[in-house]
Amino acid sequence: MLRTILAGMRARTARLVLSSVAIALGVAFVTGTLVLSDAMTASMNDGFAKTARNVDASVTLQTDGKPSSDKPETLSEDTLAAVRKAPGVAAADGRTGGSAPFLNSNGKAQSGSAIALESEPKLRPYDVVDGRFPQQDNEIALEKHAASNAKLTVGQQVTVLGKDDQKHSFTLVGTYQQGANTYGTELLLPQALRSLGQDGSAGYHEIVAMAAPGVSQQQLVDHIKTAVQGQKVKVITGADLTTERLKAVSSRAANFTTFLLAFAIIALVVASMVIYNTFTILIAQRTKELALLRCVGAGRGQVFGSVLAEALLMGLIASTIGLFGGLGVSALLQLGIGSLNDNGSDTPVTTPLSLSTVLAAFAVGTVVTVLAAVLPARKATKVAPIAALRTQTDSSEEVSRTGKVRMVLALLVAAVGGAAVALGLKQGDGGASSAVITSAGAMLLTLAVVMLGPLLVGPINRVLGAVPRALFGVPAKLAAANAGRNPKRTAATTAALLIGVTIVSLITVVATSAKDTVAKQLDQQFPADYWVTSALYDHKLPTSVGDKLAGVSALSKVAASTSVYAQIGTEDYREIATVPANSLGDLVRPTLTSGRLDKLGPGELALGQKTAETIGAHVGDTVPVAALGSNGKGTSAGPKQSFKVVAIFSGQSLGNALIAPESLAALDPQAKGYDNILLKVKPGVSLAEGRAAVDQATADSPIAKVESPSDSKDEINTQVNNVLAFIWAMIGLAVVIALVGIANTLSLSVLERTRESALLRALGLTRGQLRLMLVVESILMALMGAVLGLILGVGSGWLLTKSLSTAAMQVDLSVPVGQIGVLLVAAVIAAVLAAALPARRAARTSVVAGMAEA
Amino acid sequence: MSAVVSDVGTRTAVTARDLVKIYGKGDTAVRALAGVSVNFAAGEFTAIMGPSGSGKSTLMHCLAGLDNVDGGAVHIGQSEITGLADKELTKLRRDRVGFVFQAFNLLPTLTAEQNILLGLELAGRKPDKQWFDTIVDVLGLRDRLRHKPTELSGGQQQRVACARALVARPDVVFADEPTGNLDSRSGAEVLDFLRMSVRKLGQTVIMVTHDPVAASYADRVVLLADGHLAGEILHPTADSVLSALKHLGDV
Ligand SMILES: Nc1ncnc2c1ncn2[C@@H]1O[C@H](COP(=O)(O)OP(=O)(O)OP(=O)(O)O)[C@@H](O)[C@H]1O
Ligand SMILES: [Mg+2]
Repeated sequence: MLRTILAGMRARTARLVLSSVAIALGVAFVTGTLVLSDAMTASMNDGFAKTARNVDASVTLQTDGKPSSDKPETLSEDTLAAVRKAPGVAAADGRTGGSAPFLNSNGKAQSGSAIALESEPKLRPYDVVDGRFPQQDNEIALEKHAASNAKLTVGQQVTVLGKDDQKHSFTLVGTYQQGANTYGTELLLPQALRSLGQDGSAGYHEIVAMAAPGVSQQQLVDHIKTAVQGQKVKVITGADLTTERLKAVSSRAANFTTFLLAFAIIALVVASMVIYNTFTILIAQRTKELALLRCVGAGRGQVFGSVLAEALLMGLIASTIGLFGGLGVSALLQLGIGSLNDNGSDTPVTTPLSLSTVLAAFAVGTVVTVLAAVLPARKATKVAPIAALRTQTDSSEEVSRTGKVRMVLALLVAAVGGAAVALGLKQGDGGASSAVITSAGAMLLTLAVVMLGPLLVGPINRVLGAVPRALFGVPAKLAAANAGRNPKRTAATTAALLIGVTIVSLITVVATSAKDTVAKQLDQQFPADYWVTSALYDHKLPTSVGDKLAGVSALSKVAASTSVYAQIGTEDYREIATVPANSLGDLVRPTLTSGRLDKLGPGELALGQKTAETIGAHVGDTVPVAALGSNGKGTSAGPKQSFKVVAIFSGQSLGNALIAPESLAALDPQAKGYDNILLKVKPGVSLAEGRAAVDQATADSPIAKVESPSDSKDEINTQVNNVLAFIWAMIGLAVVIALVGIANTLSLSVLERTRESALLRALGLTRGQLRLMLVVESILMALMGAVLGLILGVGSGWLLTKSLSTAAMQVDLSVPVGQIGVLLVAAVIAAVLAAALPARRAARTSVVAGMAEA
Repeated sequence: MSAVVSDVGTRTAVTARDLVKIYGKGDTAVRALAGVSVNFAAGEFTAIMGPSGSGKSTLMHCLAGLDNVDGGAVHIGQSEITGLADKELTKLRRDRVGFVFQAFNLLPTLTAEQNILLGLELAGRKPDKQWFDTIVDVLGLRDRLRHKPTELSGGQQQRVACARALVARPDVVFADEPTGNLDSRSGAEVLDFLRMSVRKLGQTVIMVTHDPVAASYADRVVLLADGHLAGEILHPTADSVLSALKHLGDV
């Protein structure tokens, strides 16, 4: 007898441990994300604090809100001298910097910006990593990631491109690291920086000062204020500077925290479902025990209370474990993120544990657990004790009842979802609102499917079960019967996985579709073999590059184009690109929605559809155009020109409007250089030969970057894949919790079916077949969630791409078959793993012991 | 279909020699079987009786190869089953042994018919249609075949279990208190059928029971007390069994 009691207790511990795992994982994930965002905020704060290191007073220009002109105003050398002379100032330095690309070890330009090194070592917000700071005008230090990306080492010569891309050479004397907000990649002495000749480098954007011993920050500020009296400057204490900077940064960190919290919420929903399901099964299995308690005189409240107390205790213990697990999760995430962005600042892994995190962890763990216990406990104590004693754990009436209310509700949700989708699609403007409405609708449809889950289990199980039945015979048949015997339980178990897979596949499908659409557009609109662009976003290609390429004999066509920002009609900041006559309809092939575009004469313009719609222009109309200066930075418009609209085209990779190169000079006389040069290789010349010729022609222009369509597709692919990898990893955690849920259900079912297993063994089922049976059951459950999730995810993805499509840009659905295959295989493998322990346990129980189990 | 009834009693279906089974270790060790030697003839209906805790279930489990023994040997037909590996025991259970337990004989997910054929399916054998029909008709299960176990009465469930045990035509059917949960009328139905399967079909049945009336259906009663063989009764009646049991209690 003792043996049965002990066996019962052992079985109970196993059950308690199982549900604790689900709780602990959920808590770990939520804590992990919270700790991560705290850590990131802290490291950003550190970085920002660094710029205010040892600063007792800071002087900046007084701004009246709006930028006054395109010439940035700066603090002058005189102001710095005045500050230095002010009483109580121990040291003062001006801070300045500017864009300064430098050449990597291959001689190709890389974006960068140079910063003037403070003369007072204490006022430098940098720390040397390798070597030392520059001491002479011909010395330079590089930010350590920039140095390693460019494959430059201390002692080498570094070429920096100054004004008009003039080359300046410096000796690399050291590498340094900096605070999170400092964007500089190069450190130079102020004099050397000035020699680069960039705009604004003559003055300073900030002057920082250190107080002499015995002078307070406020006194220092007062002294400086007197010294610079009459100038339009703002002087604040170092302490104020720190708070000001921190205020700016916390809103930036908050963005990322929100992003992470979205994943935490998904994980929380999934974890709650798993916890709830586990408790429902646990209490269903204990219904008889609870009824017995009531038969021997325990009150309803007492029984209810005991279940809740147990849940509370379990929630507390599991939350504690999860809290510490969360610290680990956060450390792992930090390592993962650290390896993703290789040029960010160096953040050591930290796990700050704040009170709010601890509270959130316990709230999530215990509240969810107790809530998960309340419903089933109420149900268990509501029925008459004798009735409860009589029911079998999985008698069919308990099992297959899907309440009418639930049905009606689900259909209602589905109807609302369907209406939202229809509305979103009908809007059809491809804008954010149509996408938001459509995705909300798709989410509601998913919810409806989750609610209808118990009704779907039967049919899906029959379809999915066919394959293993054919492969494995009786054990698989039994497995399918088991998976379908308790539709509510199976549906609840698979729902968690369903949600995870839906989100993953939705995001993957949309991202892939977008990626492929862009790639297709590239192919369609730029049927070029190669193109040359500037490696630096703020530098145009010198016209000499175009001239040189025009002389390359291997090329049949060279089409250089320049973009300017302009005001078209009432619309500001529109990008106008020039198209050489020889490339129109050949290298550049816009899809026309109206008008003709075999040639563009002077004073003629082809308008992008979106812009045409906003300004209400049609073919034949005349629109006023005014350039906004180089890159649209300035606000002063150039001379107004009238252009005649000859065509309207769709697509977005061509800019908002096209003009002939001859029209540019009149529009923006200052515009010089090219944004890109499209190239076509001569027939009979191989692409490789063409490439070699192009590379040779551009070799001496450091900022010229040669790309082929496949290069830029690769670039887009890597970008999209990086984002997807991050999202897969984040959702992956939720999926792990879902799989733990499957393992839980399976383990509990195995415990509950001990006698059944023993009976099957007595009838001649081998140990291996018993294990196989459970593995197949697990796979069936995982596939049910995964397949439904895929259908929902891909379906929603399809709806979303439709809602994003406009007449101007058709986003075609493309389903990443490979990734989906990976997802399905992973689900099957995970299901096998989830079944491993329960199967072992079931197979180990001897037939006689199994039969003796109550 | 032609059961040979002529040499009943001459062939042994199951033999146990010096069977020892010990539960636990050291001070708490219980000798559930303390050297039991007994033969069960083919085509005979044998009941095993004895006070609670005397080792009846243990004996049956050991005879059927469901549990391993600590001493002695068990033969089913000519083959020794003690010491067989799990694989071979499983094969033995599929092909040569049938079971009827006191309760929980059926898989709730399968219909009565599927339950009856489960053993054959596991063995990968085709059911003999005629034999299946005979059993189903004799047991009166014809119009219950499509029902799930929860839709059957206790007696019907036990009859389905009997049908499953017999449909594979095993060398021997073991039944552990098959009527323990049934009222006397349903119990009688099951016992009638077991007796009929022995008399008419030449089946060998070994049944554990507490009930003298149930035992009276058997050809022979084997008495157990404290893990020892304590006598046997041939052609038992309810009264002769009752008095023998009383006598056992006196010892
Ligand atoms: N798993 C076990 N562990 C320890 N002792 C056991 C175990 N199973 C049975 N026993 C002991 O072995 C002895 C025989 O048990 P068994 O179940 O064979 O008795 P039984 O004759 O079938 O009794 P009942 O008529 O009550 O079913 C008893 O003393 C019992 O306590
Ligand atoms: Mg017994």
